[in-house]
Amino acid sequence: MVTKKWILLNNEIMVKNDDEFSLHKDKEAVRSYFLDFVNKNTVFFYTLKEKIDYLIEQEYYIDFYQWYTFEQMQEVYDSVYAKKFRFQSFMSAFKFFQSYALRDDSGEKFLERYEDRVVAVSLFLARGDVKQALEYAEMLINQEYQPATPTFLNSGKKRSGELVSCFLDEIGDNLNGIGYAIDSAMKLSSIGGGVSFNLSKIRARGESIKDVEGRAGGVLPIMKILEDTFSYANQLGQRPGAGAVYLNVFHTDIEEFLDCKKINVDEKVRIKSLSIGVVVPDKFMELAEKDEACYLFHPHTVLKQYGKYLDEMDMDEMYEELVTNPAVKKKKVNARHLMVKIAQTQKESGYPYLFFKGNANRGHALKDLGNVKFSNLCTEIMQISDVSDIEIYGTEDKIRYGISCNLGSLNIATVMDNKRIKEAVKTAMRSLTIVSDITNIAMVPSVQKANKELHSVGLGAMNLHGFLAKNFIMYESKEALDFCNVFFMMVNFYSLQSSMEIARERKETFVGFESSEYANGNYFNQYITKDIVPVNDKIAALFEGVEIPTAADWTQLMNDVKEHGVFHAYRLAIAPNQSTSYIMNATASVMPVVDVIEVREYGDSTTYYPMPYLDNDNYFFYKSAYDMDQKNVLRLISVIQKHVDQGISTILHTNTKDTTRDIAKYYIYAHKMGLKSLYYTRTRKAGIDECVSCSV
Amino acid sequence: MSNYKAVNWNTPENDYAGMFWEQNLRQFWVDTEYIPSKDIDIWKTLAPEIQEAYKRALGGLTLLDTLQSHTGMPKLLDHIDGLQNKAVLSFMCMMEAIHAKSYSTIFTTVATTAEINELFEWVENNKLLQFKAATIDKYYRKLDADKVSNETLFMGLAASVLLETFLFYSGFFMPLWLSGQGQMVASADIIKKIVADESIHGVFVGLLAQDVYKKLPNPEKSKAELVELLMELYENELKYTDELYTEIGLTADVKEYIRYNANKAMMNLGFEEIFEVKAINSIVLNGLNGETTQHDFFSKKSTNYEKSTEVIYLRDEDFQMDADPVF
Repeated sequence: MVTKKWILLNNEIMVKNDDEFSLHKDKEAVRSYFLDFVNKNTVFFYTLKEKIDYLIEQEYYIDFYQWYTFEQMQEVYDSVYAKKFRFQSFMSAFKFFQSYALRDDSGEKFLERYEDRVVAVSLFLARGDVKQALEYAEMLINQEYQPATPTFLNSGKKRSGELVSCFLDEIGDNLNGIGYAIDSAMKLSSIGGGVSFNLSKIRARGESIKDVEGRAGGVLPIMKILEDTFSYANQLGQRPGAGAVYLNVFHTDIEEFLDCKKINVDEKVRIKSLSIGVVVPDKFMELAEKDEACYLFHPHTVLKQYGKYLDEMDMDEMYEELVTNPAVKKKKVNARHLMVKIAQTQKESGYPYLFFKGNANRGHALKDLGNVKFSNLCTEIMQISDVSDIEIYGTEDKIRYGISCNLGSLNIATVMDNKRIKEAVKTAMRSLTIVSDITNIAMVPSVQKANKELHSVGLGAMNLHGFLAKNFIMYESKEALDFCNVFFMMVNFYSLQSSMEIARERKETFVGFESSEYANGNYFNQYITKDIVPVNDKIAALFEGVEIPTAADWTQLMNDVKEHGVFHAYRLAIAPNQSTSYIMNATASVMPVVDVIEVREYGDSTTYYPMPYLDNDNYFFYKSAYDMDQKNVLRLISVIQKHVDQGISTILHTNTKDTTRDIAKYYIYAHKMGLKSLYYTRTRKAGIDECVSCSV
Repeated sequence: MSNYKAVNWNTPENDYAGMFWEQNLRQFWVDTEYIPSKDIDIWKTLAPEIQEAYKRALGGLTLLDTLQSHTGMPKLLDHIDGLQNKAVLSFMCMMEAIHAKSYSTIFTTVATTAEINELFEWVENNKLLQFKAATIDKYYRKLDADKVSNETLFMGLAASVLLETFLFYSGFFMPLWLSGQGQMVASADIIKKIVADESIHGVFVGLLAQDVYKKLPNPEKSKAELVELLMELYENELKYTDELYTEIGLTADVKEYIRYNANKAMMNLGFEEIFEVKAINSIVLNGLNGETTQHDFFSKKSTNYEKSTEVIYLRDEDFQMDADPVF
């Protein structure tokens, strides 16, 4: 085994000359990667016809001839190849060929280049409509929109996984319910899905089973089983299964739940690979602020008293009642201490995620249909869910809503440069809708039901920091707030308009539309009284030549929605998108970059990734997230959140010297600013050099 | 008879003991937090000669860390002034024991019992490896007395720095090189934690050595002895490298790397660099970098998180913040 030249070249970026990184080495790495590896390992075809026929005959592709003639396909291929696409960084090329490009069955030879993948996705999603296929292809090869990994990876392949990969469900507090969850976890994990469960309904450790006190094992043993289930049912060994569990902060097992991530803890109660999240109702934040006694409740005693799960109660309303009721077993803790314990656990492990339940339900467009109770593996999905009643064999189950999410992201920089926000959003919404149409997760009926009735999708965005830096705008500036306010208002407008148009075409809305805030018009309140326009000249210049929807347009949309309805119960969600942002040569999501050159550790590689558009002139604008005041980041997210119906994966970047108190203050700020969730907390280590230089 | 003293952390003994204590604590970890079993599939795809070199590299490291935890640290501890310094050394001693166990956590996860036994036998019988251990141990054993001269103590400390900052790296090269190319990555998480520990151990013991060095009446003599020892070990390292890495074609890179780390050891002891070093393999050099990296939580465990050593509670004013909507 010899050192691979392209990896060496990519590593050599880090060699500094005259205080500047050797950025040109990255281009050399891309070149070497193609010349020395990709080209040598790509199957060659004499003609396009030969290629298409081979891929179909050998069962790599589905039979595209069922929808298209060869000439039609050729037109799409030609349009894509005419763009002369080139990868802008080694990371982009490497990630694409490593993880997305179709390979032959031996796994050794590539059968696709980037252009081919783009065409396959477009042909597949357009289902025979050539005009539509050309639209998808243009959007994809322009890198204006990127479907989530499972869609981009699997579309058009004969032997492939599902197009969606993120699922959520409730767990009922009985063996049938738990069994259903574990069964779902295994099945969804085996098709490559990440699954998130809400454990808040499970009775706590030491509660009664069949009225015998002290028998229940609490949430931790279930977590252990789920963790093992996910690691067993991986996607054909290609990537490890991933799962998350959420617990309500008022559940008495919460402290044990948090302790499972501690570094030094007994193996029996340590959770290594399962992600954890805490559901935080407003009431908890209020108790912490007022520094009043905080009681945790035994959920089973609550259920027995009120016939309702603790997790489904409005704690603002019920907290005092639960505290007063002697039949509800409880435990007194200090809310501030519990918050600091969460911060401490985050410092040590990055977990837990926080889900601010009050914020997620305030302004929830489906509030009369149900509550948002928890979130997913990346904390951007926020939809209604309801626990199913799973019965014994021979008795019909009562299946309710699980959640299935189907994601994609706009590339802010390219849609702005091409002045195609409207076109890109609408085309993206079409493609997401098709994915929802053709997805049918029959093996987990609660997830199937949700997709069938609600058609939820999650359109997000990436490359915010890259776009800002390219235009010499600081991420933390007022201009950035101004830009996001206008841009995401537009994304909201066009996605809703598109959803209305689809409902009109199909004469079908999501189930329950009549009871939604869309139907009664409340959803539009923030838009119909005042125009949202750029207030800053610099930002106004960026939008020049782009039509920005006005209050009047919103009013028109409100009336159209009343008349025709809305097809998707949920439309927008901003995912962290890692792999996909690399192939797009974009900065991830709407988060700030962590470094001008990111050192990226994946399960299978270490790669150096210079930030998109980085050069010596704009270096200064790539300020690291670790050097930013996190409040500035949270403030920016709060602006975007106003225009996003679901959530935004928001990462806190902290330094070793930040105390638990500093971190807890970010929670307080995030909550006050109306953020719906916080994703990981990342910590930048103080290196020993830093320590020694400051004190020796 | 002298009185026994209790360690008083309330009064700093020197500029650095408290800081190193904190840093050690923050870096604390145990091998079972990591999941080398994720590498089993990759392991099976590696060429036999790579597997062999990998196992031997880790086997050699196990020996060195065993020596360090069983003999090195305890002997040094005895003669070091300052109860806080001793506390830091004893913490490091425990970490060395964890390191020694961790290498085997990796290779016992991927290798069969027969291979494991064979490996330990190889360690016991490899002349070059044994020479390394014996040479360092000789200086540790000289500390086996109630009172030792400052010269002896200095050489003991210096030997420890050479071991931590210099001798380990012929072994670290292999896992870092592989993981930089996407192989044995989960196991490399453990190696990176060890590298981070060894680097502060080298710096700390180096500072202790420098303190002793200042007290020497004839420092040049000790320095000459140190350089002689380093050259002796260096010759041995070159042969050891030939034996381990020739078959897989990495010998030249590893040797360059050894010289680089020999320089670092000298610098930890407060001396000039001794070798001229040209280009180090960037992949391995970058792997050494302890700075925070980005990772995907679902596909691997991070090496970035550290134990939080202080907990500060919230106050009323923390809840009073300006949180008006922006628009």
